Amino acid sequence: MTEPPAATAVIHDIRYSRFSGSLRPRWTAVLALARSSVQRSLGVRRSAGAKVWPFLLVAAAYLPAVVAVGVPLVLGDLPGVGATGPLDILGYYDLLGVTGVIVLAFAATTLPSLLTRERRDRVLSLYFSTALSPMEYVAGKLLAAVALVLLVTLGPMLLLLVGGILIADAPLAYAQDHLGDWPEIALAGGYFALFQAAVALALGSLTSRRVFAVGGDIALMLVPAVIGGVLYGLTERTAFLALNLLYVPIELAGYVLSPDDDRSAVPSLVVLQAVWAGVVVAGLGTLVLRYVRGKGQ
Amino acid sequence: MGRSGMGRSGVGRRPGGATRPTVGVVTDAQGPALDCAGVTMTFGRVQALDDVTVQVTAAATGLLGANGAGKSTLMKVALGLLVPDSGRVRVLGLDLDSSDERAQVRQRVGYMPEHDCLPTDMSGQDLCVHIAQLRGLSRRDARRRASEVLFAVGLEEERRRSIDTYSLGMKQRTKLAQALVHGPDLVVLDEPTSGLDPSGRSEMLSIVRRLSRELGIKVLVSSHVLDDIERTCDEIVVLRAGRLAAQQQVEVTLTAGPVALRVTGDLAAFAQALAGRGVATYPTEHGDIGIASAGPVELEALRDLAADLGVGILSLLDHGDSLENSVVAAMSEPT
Repeated sequence: MTEPPAATAVIHDIRYSRFSGSLRPRWTAVLALARSSVQRSLGVRRSAGAKVWPFLLVAAAYLPAVVAVGVPLVLGDLPGVGATGPLDILGYYDLLGVTGVIVLAFAATTLPSLLTRERRDRVLSLYFSTALSPMEYVAGKLLAAVALVLLVTLGPMLLLLVGGILIADAPLAYAQDHLGDWPEIALAGGYFALFQAAVALALGSLTSRRVFAVGGDIALMLVPAVIGGVLYGLTERTAFLALNLLYVPIELAGYVLSPDDDRSAVPSLVVLQAVWAGVVVAGLGTLVLRYVRGKGQ
Repeated sequence: MGRSGMGRSGVGRRPGGATRPTVGVVTDAQGPALDCAGVTMTFGRVQALDDVTVQVTAAATGLLGANGAGKSTLMKVALGLLVPDSGRVRVLGLDLDSSDERAQVRQRVGYMPEHDCLPTDMSGQDLCVHIAQLRGLSRRDARRRASEVLFAVGLEEERRRSIDTYSLGMKQRTKLAQALVHGPDLVVLDEPTSGLDPSGRSEMLSIVRRLSRELGIKVLVSSHVLDDIERTCDEIVVLRAGRLAAQQQVEVTLTAGPVALRVTGDLAAFAQALAGRGVATYPTEHGDIGIASAGPVELEALRDLAADLGVGILSLLDHGDSLENSVVAAMSEPT
């Protein structure tokens, strides 16, 4: 008589049972909210149509950096130009200048929906009935907005830097030469991310209609720019150019990334920093007041 | 509720961590599920709750009242979503005045709102995973729990579909699933059968009943429909114009009268014969024979007399205040 074979199969009972496991710290809930928000904004786990616009803009933001890395990779040294690496073709500051409008379009169309969609669907009462506090909600959404803007600002700059290291004849030496680039591009990306996140989230917190928030964001960037241009034309005072909010983070990044450039036609660093700080504080202040005091309802 | 799969499964449970908070089962030692003392809440000129003092101890409690009676407000106060103007609220023994304890309450309570509150671009599964993570579960636990709870409410086939393609009944189930995903000790259901067809309503009521009877989850459910409450709850709390109007058990107990009797043949002669055997009778407003005291002795005499006279008993009904009568009376009394 042979022994019965040892049991190898396991029966999993998938019926409902009470959860008695351990709960994770609260910050993990904030990260979960931020991750989910980023995915929804990019159309991840949604229909193909929902992915088209955000991914089109992301691709457009990366295109100049891809070209700058790809050309020396394919062609080697460019005859007559002397370019040997991506940064010789396109510097960080130039990249931000080229992609500035794309970043604006991405931020204006993607970030407000982080808030408007949930206000429209009245999801907040569901969220706030969990252990999530209004402040944690705001933190999660801000984190998501910053991550999204960094995706189209810091990401392409990192591609230039890392691409340059990878295709360099002496990668280690190249990396050592550009060691100082890391904090500079991080700071430049941070200028963009906080600025655009504060503006877009503040506008998104004021309405449940995405189209109004998008229109408001674009108007906020364009209308003061026109006024600033007119005032500059009349007075020739460069400080008025700081009313062009689209270029405030770009020019601030310029002071970090290309400090030696001629900036006679650019507002001073102090003026740019004051405008940047004013917009960020006003935007985040509006956001906090809307959600922490009014619970965004 | 043929497709639902709720049960007392212990499979898949994890031991609780020693240092981190865990979700456990509420016990009687933790006191009433909801304990309100002098709770008052106003919205501008509207007095939503007026000095409400109530203790909810039953496994399943129904909250009844007309529109604007304060049901939803009381629920939101219990969840800590609204802060009352005055009064004290304790949920599962935890004080909502303390921010730490308020956070604990929210981790141990599930809430199913009445209104549409589902993100339409997510699937039912993604939503449940997301809500579970917001409540503190790890991603792995959240996924497992979401599958369990969606199976339990009968949405296992449709869990990957976008919520905007769901029927109303499926949306109601999704709202219930997200309220249960973290294994709450108390679940607060605001009009769970609102807008459902008879079949969907019946299934939803079955699920709600199982929560308290099979899973040991305390249930606080609001409804306009007394029948829903009778089928799912052990106790009723009636609110009227923001005040507590009544609180009573749903359970039908055998009483010793009064009862209304209807028999074949001559009612007056049968009543007289009953009186001759020592059973006091009176005519009811519907022309039946009223028996004020209907204990075992009186009912035996009634049975024997009917047998002796060859009279058939058509009906023998409780003639006292029914649950419906008392609830309607409580809801309609002048304030």
